[in-house]
Amino acid sequence: MTDSMLWVLLVGTITLASPLILAAMGGYVSERGGIVNIALEGKMLAACAATSLVGFATGSVVWSLAAGIASATVLAWSHWLLTQKFRVDAVVSGMALNALAFGATNFFDKRFTDPTHIGDMPRLPLGVYQALAFALPLLLAYGVRRTRAGVRLMASGSDPDKARQMGVEPVAVRFWAQTVTGALCGLAGAMIVTNAGRFVDNMTAGRGFIALAALILGGWRPVQVGLACLFFGFAEALQLVLQGTDLMGARIPSEAWSSLPYLATIVALAGFAGKSRAPAGLGKV
Amino acid sequence: MRLRVALVSVVALLLVVGALVLSGVPPMEALAELARGAFGSKSAWAGTLRETTPLLLAGLAVFLALRAGLFNIGVEGQLVVGAMASVAVCLAVPGVAGVVLGTLAGVAAGALWALPAGLIKAYRNGHEVITTIMLNGVANFLSTALVAGPLKDPSQQSPTTRLLDASTRLPDVYAAPPFRVNLGLVVGLLLIAATAWWLRRTVAGFELRATGANLRAAEFAGVPVRRVMLWSMVASGAIGGLAGAVQALAYEGRFYAGFSPGYGFDSLGVAILAGASPFGLLPSALAFGALAKGSTSIQILGVPKGLSYVILGLLIVVFAVVRYRREGARD
Amino acid sequence: MSLAVRLQGISKRFGAVRALESVDLDLEAGTLHALVGENGAGKTTLMRVLYGAIQPDAGSIEVEGRARRFRNSREAIEAGIGMVSQHYSILPQLTCLQNLMLGAEPGAWIGERASVARAEELAARMGFRFDWHADASTLSPAGAQKLEILKLLWRRARILILDEPTAMLSPADSDALFESLAQLRRDGATVILVTHRLPEVMDHAERVTVLRAGRRVASMPVAETDARGLAELIVGHALERASAEPPGNLGEELLCVRGLVVAGYRGDDAVRGADLAVRAGEIVGIAGVDGSGQRELFQAVLGVARAKGGAVRLFGEDASKWPPSRRLEAGLRLIPEDRHEEGVIDEWPLLENAALGLQRVPPLRRGGGLDSSVQREVAEKAARAFDTKHGGLRLPMASLSGGNQQRFVAGRALQLGPRLLLAFQPARGLDIEATRRVYEAIRGLCRSGGAAALVVSFDLDELLEHCDRLVAMRSGRIFEPPPERAKDRAEIGRLMVGAA
Repeated sequence: MTDSMLWVLLVGTITLASPLILAAMGGYVSERGGIVNIALEGKMLAACAATSLVGFATGSVVWSLAAGIASATVLAWSHWLLTQKFRVDAVVSGMALNALAFGATNFFDKRFTDPTHIGDMPRLPLGVYQALAFALPLLLAYGVRRTRAGVRLMASGSDPDKARQMGVEPVAVRFWAQTVTGALCGLAGAMIVTNAGRFVDNMTAGRGFIALAALILGGWRPVQVGLACLFFGFAEALQLVLQGTDLMGARIPSEAWSSLPYLATIVALAGFAGKSRAPAGLGKV
Repeated sequence: MRLRVALVSVVALLLVVGALVLSGVPPMEALAELARGAFGSKSAWAGTLRETTPLLLAGLAVFLALRAGLFNIGVEGQLVVGAMASVAVCLAVPGVAGVVLGTLAGVAAGALWALPAGLIKAYRNGHEVITTIMLNGVANFLSTALVAGPLKDPSQQSPTTRLLDASTRLPDVYAAPPFRVNLGLVVGLLLIAATAWWLRRTVAGFELRATGANLRAAEFAGVPVRRVMLWSMVASGAIGGLAGAVQALAYEGRFYAGFSPGYGFDSLGVAILAGASPFGLLPSALAFGALAKGSTSIQILGVPKGLSYVILGLLIVVFAVVRYRREGARD
Repeated sequence: MSLAVRLQGISKRFGAVRALESVDLDLEAGTLHALVGENGAGKTTLMRVLYGAIQPDAGSIEVEGRARRFRNSREAIEAGIGMVSQHYSILPQLTCLQNLMLGAEPGAWIGERASVARAEELAARMGFRFDWHADASTLSPAGAQKLEILKLLWRRARILILDEPTAMLSPADSDALFESLAQLRRDGATVILVTHRLPEVMDHAERVTVLRAGRRVASMPVAETDARGLAELIVGHALERASAEPPGNLGEELLCVRGLVVAGYRGDDAVRGADLAVRAGEIVGIAGVDGSGQRELFQAVLGVARAKGGAVRLFGEDASKWPPSRRLEAGLRLIPEDRHEEGVIDEWPLLENAALGLQRVPPLRRGGGLDSSVQREVAEKAARAFDTKHGGLRLPMASLSGGNQQRFVAGRALQLGPRLLLAFQPARGLDIEATRRVYEAIRGLCRSGGAAALVVSFDLDELLEHCDRLVAMRSGRIFEPPPERAKDRAEIGRLMVGAA
């Protein structure tokens, strides 16, 4: 492997892992608060579309970013409403929101994107996102221990009934948690579309589920989850770099690398003998 | 509570109408076009039934698991491996024998694909939603790799298998062209009736329903809940595999990359809208099938295909909320 | 002596049930005051009134001389009252420090160093040691107990209510707890101890108040009484009641439990070496206060809970490895403690609920299927047995009132050849007449049907009236009264509370 390949590998890893980290941290906040979240995918996708559309329409970085974050947050709030106030199962809500996001982004893209509009989408430098992605796991790990909000978040996800006895209202805490989840997924989506230049149908390509896999693999601990994301980003980058080249004589199909995150998660779930590290109150109101 | 439900329904309706208006299509005309596209002619009906068949089977798969209290999100993957397995067998064994063996292979593949999720749920208490989603991902990549490699038809550019000849297909039971009803659909209907009977009248079906209704009460009633969960997942996967086999052998005649246009999402919606009885799957799957068929007509009018997913998502939401209202606030 | 708390004329009703009737309680500052009584006597209700969790229908509360009305627990906490309930509210995935301060954090930032310092100071005063950053799930019951007390101190409580604090503690841990309580009193706190354990009351409390059936029956300095006297006050005098006709010759052993050990949900053992035998033809009652291990004993006999040690023999065979389905098939039946959790499926129609638990028992089970005519018959008999009022067998269980649901569940247990009936509070929610009929049916089953029954109840009178033989369960062990006092109320009462 040449030096330039190594460099590409490194850069690729960081670039590919960053949106995963952002989304996974969003999932972390949601699940630590007790709400199962399988709709990271939909939120990111919505943010991709919103950032792209508003960006091209207004030419403003601020507005496009705001639109991306807002769209993901609206979905997150809907998830909160459905699961906490209507007692809809979080899985059902998540799948419905994913479908909604998938359909709505396709709709708005086809309807409002002007294909003749050539030009650059206003964007933040990737470095901003990357820096944020690397800082977040540490910030969250610290915040969950050292701030009142963090302790209450943990309590709401650990045992909402007992938390209530101690004077904490989990439903309210979860609202704020979902807001953060939305913001982070929005940033993740904005980064993906920034990297690509414009919105493409279904451009998140399952990354929301990989972020979820990282969350489980990392045992719901921010730094470990971040490392899992790095690992997955590395796998994807490696696959891109090695594409077509022979590895020890046999050509490993790219799909094998792409399957890696999924297989790893299954193995992890199979391997937990006994206590799972999931927040104990996941799914309880 | 009733107010909230009404509110949600109204919002959902407004969203859909708004979307249609935004597309420059008057809603009533869109609805008419949708109906025409789905039911307006014999060939329309044939197309609707064709869309309905895999949804019926896949919906049944999800439905069965739901009754046991499990979310089988993996129908997508089970369907894909089922289709792939059935085509692979039929490529080697032509004719009726091939179809029979291929269908069995599809069922087995689907069952096998659900097995890890079932085991992990039953004995490690790992949430089946996550494992099945992961298995979907693996199925997707596995099938892509295989159909671009060993299974690929060398005479084609795109990743697809050879087309199976006319004798190696699931036959139509009734054909008055352009209208046709395939054996696959009949199989689906029979399976639904059989499932309804099995759930109501057998001890195993009783225990499956008990497990889904109240796990602890089932335990106290002597139900071996872990085994029930495992077998429910496997059976669900088997039906998912069957859905794939039927789709491949009845309609497609081959397997290719991107075989499933997202049956995973759809089948969850079908199952949720079906309600408590398996027979509810009939109108539910038909509705989704009609939506799928009709939406191609609307697309010609200028409405993006994404709208059908929006409708799907909204339908699930409304239905889930309504169910909550009916069951009341349970603590 | 100043009064920390004065409760006067506290009354509370829950629907038709009179939980408290004009109860007075005077708490002198700096003392340890014991509140004793059976299950359902009103102890916990009274304390929840003081803690603000429920509002009394009548009566007044004075705290440190000031009249008070607590609308919720937060107001009670602000008034300096704290309660450690029987079921600890320690959150497992948080650290000890986080558990300590949850809901009463110093500010938006925890300020770890300052908080740990304060926590250490409070702990040191009590002689406790904690690893503040360790996961709270690693705490033993005794450790959790101590943390619960510290939680009160963190919130500057001066009046501490402890509900059954030693229920799951070893003797050594209990002694340590009372040491801490003595220290607390030296610091000026007042402690109310709600308990069943009379030896503790005699050893550590200064005053004791006895509640029975919602009324205060006595209150005196501990020095003026003894364990036997207290036990008698708690359990009351025997009422004139006709006792059931004793069984004739007893048949073979249907249930034999030897040295049974079953884990409890808090980590230590709920059943600690229990021995019990039940023979065909008899009804055996297990008396005891809630939490003595009855629940776990039943679950182990049913097979739903795993026995860590000891053996269970059913119908003459070693059943320790039998799954619940096999036990049910062999003739075991259950009237469960909690219908909703363990006995019925609320959404299902009566017809289907009738088969729950019996689905593998022939003739209801025929081959792999359910015989619909037998199922209908079972449902009808189950409903008729105790006059369950229902609107039709196809209506859901949830459409029945609580009392009717209980009647149905009891009726179901008598179907399809029961041989051993486990009944946990079978008369729960039933009036006297229905209770009588249920026990009559059970007795008929045992006398002429060759069956036996094991009944758990928290109502000693009910057991004395309807059971042939009583044993007491306490702290996970079973105690049999001597044959000459086999149905002596006072003796059973003493065994229940450990005052024999």
